[in-house]
Amino acid sequence: MKTFKTGGIHPPESKFTENIPIEEMPVPAELAISLNQHLGKPAKPLVKVGSEVKKGELIGAADGFISANVHASTSGKVKAVKPYPHPSGQYAMTVFITADGNDEWAEGLNTDPADWHGFSKEEIIGKINDAGIVGMGGAGFPTNVKLSPPPDKQIDTIILNGAECEPFLTADHRLMLESPEEVVEGLEIIASLFGGHAKAYIGIESNKKDAIETISRIASPKGIEVISLKTKYPQGAEKQLINAITGRTIEQGELPFDKGCLVQNIGTAVAIYEAVCKNRPLIDRIVTVSGLEIGQPKNIRAVIGTSFRDIARFCGDLKERTNQIISGGPMMGKALFTLDVPIVKTTSGILFINNTGIEKAHERTCIRCGKCVDVCPQGLAPWLLANVAQIRDFDEIQLLGLANCTECGSCTYVCPSKRELVHWIKYAKALVNNRQKRKSA
Amino acid sequence: MESVNLKVSNAPFVRSKDSIESVMYNVALALAPATVMSVYLFGMRALVLTVVSILSCIAFEWLMDKARNKPNSCLDGSALVTGLLLALNVPANLPLWMVVTGAFIAIVATKHVFGGLGYNVFNPALVARVFLLISFPAAMTSWPMPAPFSFDMMVDMETGASPLGILKTDGVQAALASLSLMDGFYGTMTGSLGETSALALLAGAAWLWYKKYITMYIPLTIMGSVFLFTGLFHLIDPGTYASPAFHMVTGGLVLGAFFMATDMVTSPLSIRGQLLFGLGCGLLTAVIRLWGGYPEGISFAILIMNSFVPLIDRWDLNDRKAENKKEPETP
Amino acid sequence: MISEAFIPAVTSLGSVALALGLIIFYVSKKFHVEEDPMVVIINDILPGVNCGACGYPSCGQFAEILVETKDSSMSCPVGGADLAAKLGTTLGIAMAEPKPITAVVLCQGDNDTAKETAEYFGIQDCWAATQTFVGPKQCRYSCIGLGSCIAFCDFGAMRLENGLIVIDKDLCTGCGACIPACPTGVLVMQEKKAERYYIACNSHDKGAATKKACDAGCIACQKCVKVCDDDAIVIESFLARIIQEKCTACGKCIEVCPTKVNCIILEQDFHDAKQKKAS
Repeated sequence: MKTFKTGGIHPPESKFTENIPIEEMPVPAELAISLNQHLGKPAKPLVKVGSEVKKGELIGAADGFISANVHASTSGKVKAVKPYPHPSGQYAMTVFITADGNDEWAEGLNTDPADWHGFSKEEIIGKINDAGIVGMGGAGFPTNVKLSPPPDKQIDTIILNGAECEPFLTADHRLMLESPEEVVEGLEIIASLFGGHAKAYIGIESNKKDAIETISRIASPKGIEVISLKTKYPQGAEKQLINAITGRTIEQGELPFDKGCLVQNIGTAVAIYEAVCKNRPLIDRIVTVSGLEIGQPKNIRAVIGTSFRDIARFCGDLKERTNQIISGGPMMGKALFTLDVPIVKTTSGILFINNTGIEKAHERTCIRCGKCVDVCPQGLAPWLLANVAQIRDFDEIQLLGLANCTECGSCTYVCPSKRELVHWIKYAKALVNNRQKRKSA
Repeated sequence: MESVNLKVSNAPFVRSKDSIESVMYNVALALAPATVMSVYLFGMRALVLTVVSILSCIAFEWLMDKARNKPNSCLDGSALVTGLLLALNVPANLPLWMVVTGAFIAIVATKHVFGGLGYNVFNPALVARVFLLISFPAAMTSWPMPAPFSFDMMVDMETGASPLGILKTDGVQAALASLSLMDGFYGTMTGSLGETSALALLAGAAWLWYKKYITMYIPLTIMGSVFLFTGLFHLIDPGTYASPAFHMVTGGLVLGAFFMATDMVTSPLSIRGQLLFGLGCGLLTAVIRLWGGYPEGISFAILIMNSFVPLIDRWDLNDRKAENKKEPETP
Repeated sequence: MISEAFIPAVTSLGSVALALGLIIFYVSKKFHVEEDPMVVIINDILPGVNCGACGYPSCGQFAEILVETKDSSMSCPVGGADLAAKLGTTLGIAMAEPKPITAVVLCQGDNDTAKETAEYFGIQDCWAATQTFVGPKQCRYSCIGLGSCIAFCDFGAMRLENGLIVIDKDLCTGCGACIPACPTGVLVMQEKKAERYYIACNSHDKGAATKKACDAGCIACQKCVKVCDDDAIVIESFLARIIQEKCTACGKCIEVCPTKVNCIILEQDFHDAKQKKAS
């Protein structure tokens, strides 16, 4: 069993939904499809109020190098294009579609599976680009960009990330159990882009024994190694996963391809398979709906743009004592201020919780216990970063490795003084960025 | 469903159950065997002294919170731990007003004047102990003989010098004659409340280590360096210098190494810093014991090393900065 | 007995003090740096707050450069016209008179007028809050209302009132230190005038969205543009702007503004404008 070297924590797993099969959620009457579902520049809207769209039709075009296409998730009429709350907590330009109920695919999409072996490298990347695929683990980096590293970087290791180390979330787990063929096929497509010399791995945390078995059965004959990883957070973070599987360390300022690695999420692999073989754009995803305050925790397949309100209704309504709705996992997710938020390509989970301590919690002084230093997977001193952020010494804080922080939240999790360590670091990052922006302006 | 009142806060939304309280109460729990042992050895008087020490520490904490207009922290356990440690660091027949004075020095002069919990440079209980030792040397060095299960108040009980005191004044032979090593280990010897029973203290320390509230880097380097240093001189001249085993079980070494030097606030954070800190404490203790004016040196050693902690931490800090300076600046 | 202890103590300590004093005296003479007396005089006249509004890091630096270059265009916004005159007479040149400027808040979204999103728990700082979500107010252009800028003001001119930053225009010296401290950019510098109208709204959302989020937001209705005789009001990306050079402060625009709380305000009576509408 492999694991990353430094730090890590083991929060309660709370995977209530791991044995619940994925349920298809019907397309709701109205969809709000955000044009900012990825890292980088938001897509440019291609539709106007009143235009008719078919399922899978392009409604937002990638704007610039790091951006991604956005497609209509169902057929219907565009009702509005306006800023609307986004699962990140901010506003984003959003296309509203009133479904016509026919759920009719646009011409040439969602065809019968074709054999991808005949496609050229450019064709595959083109299809991935057209389908608007982004990293579905959370960051949402456009996949076609990630799959086209600079020519001088040799990729020798391709890792499929099935760690799913966040508590509560089981979307990837269920996907591996229910569509193992697609997962492996997707990985093969990725591997084919780098010729024969790249070794492919699938890393799965050891708390998902059934998934390891299922995937191994299909992947092992194809020369793909399934790695059982120790159940430890943040095993599924890109840098930690690379370290666990290959032993390589991504230094500050480096990207995975600098060390010959490429990491893709399970959901992304399936999306790649569907895009390449079936011409199916990324218009739906698996979402774990969980937490103690939802009627029926479920894994659902919902179309992009379904609102959290509809999902709550579909999953047996939330209880009245809910005081926080979280998009994503409990370690790195975002608390939302409204239920009127659509799911996007990166929404891996929705949690309905009653965070009881929230009013009483206040930051206390650091007692220098050193736990944050022990658990930091990046080997930083979070308490020091937070202290320096508090006095706003932004030159010093960069020297202390601010840019190295992946915001995994392990330090805040363990802090006995309940300091908002990660939040202070995010605060410092925001101000450092702002200062740089002003300097260059 | 419309009526839910949403609140926004930051990730992570799950937090560990550890808190300042849990840390402090676990330390207090770890000190419980030694406290029970001291009551067994020195009777009711020890209990009264412990209670007075704890209550006065908590009272001063409360007063200082009021005076400094800070949220009430008197029940967060840190004052309790300071009170317990202070009691364990004084002889059982110390006048109670001196204990209260010690509590004042610990909580007000050492902790709150520097900014309260987390900001104090020196270990509060140790400063109080050293203050009392310097101010009232007679009262602080006349230790009652242990009298198990005696429940009188022992106001005029039989007192004697500690084994280390005998070592300093009467030499090795007298000191060795005054106790067997097993006495020292179980604690049936003269000394401060908590200095006597190494066994009870080690049991508590094992608990803290098991719960991961302390690491063993500091205690083991202190014990190891005292052992080696005194052992070296014992080998050179057994007639003048006592055996290292004698030094291990006598005085406050175990209490100091496992409970005072490991205080989170006043010890270094990095492992190598802790090793250096432990080594410094150990060597200073041995030097004071062998050649110093006081029979016991662990308190002074820890306080001296406490003052080096910011410097030791800076070592770590500078290395971190150097590491990131190497990287070319991203445009 | 006393004198036995007393005399050696006094003599020893006294001689140490004397020796140290002599060393200090020697060093101060030996390493004395000749300073332009004019720089010292100018430095004394300057306010000495080192706010950086003049473009130099400190008042001392400003004084040095001013004495060296005698550049009449250099100005200290903090001191204003009085200081400029003083500096001018001291240096024997005619200093340009600085236009007094002040920071203003382009937002009236306090706890009554702006719609809230959700209660925020976390670091009480505007930047920290905007990292978490859009902010405690629905309008993403609004004053976040946690007062990060207050710490940047050296003159105590800023305070939080009902979830909105209020600037005391008498205390504001126009140094501009608060401007970069605001994540949403609702603080801007404007010239101080006796009577001046400006649009106290920063929302570039469409009218309907602005209206939904705030009672005091500019909904870009064009009414003020039409009523203005001097063509002093323009609408740029759903937000009105008053061109100060053209504005004659006639006050007609305030009369027609249809929002519940006027988005156009007269600088003098910030609070009166609001009350007029409420009654």
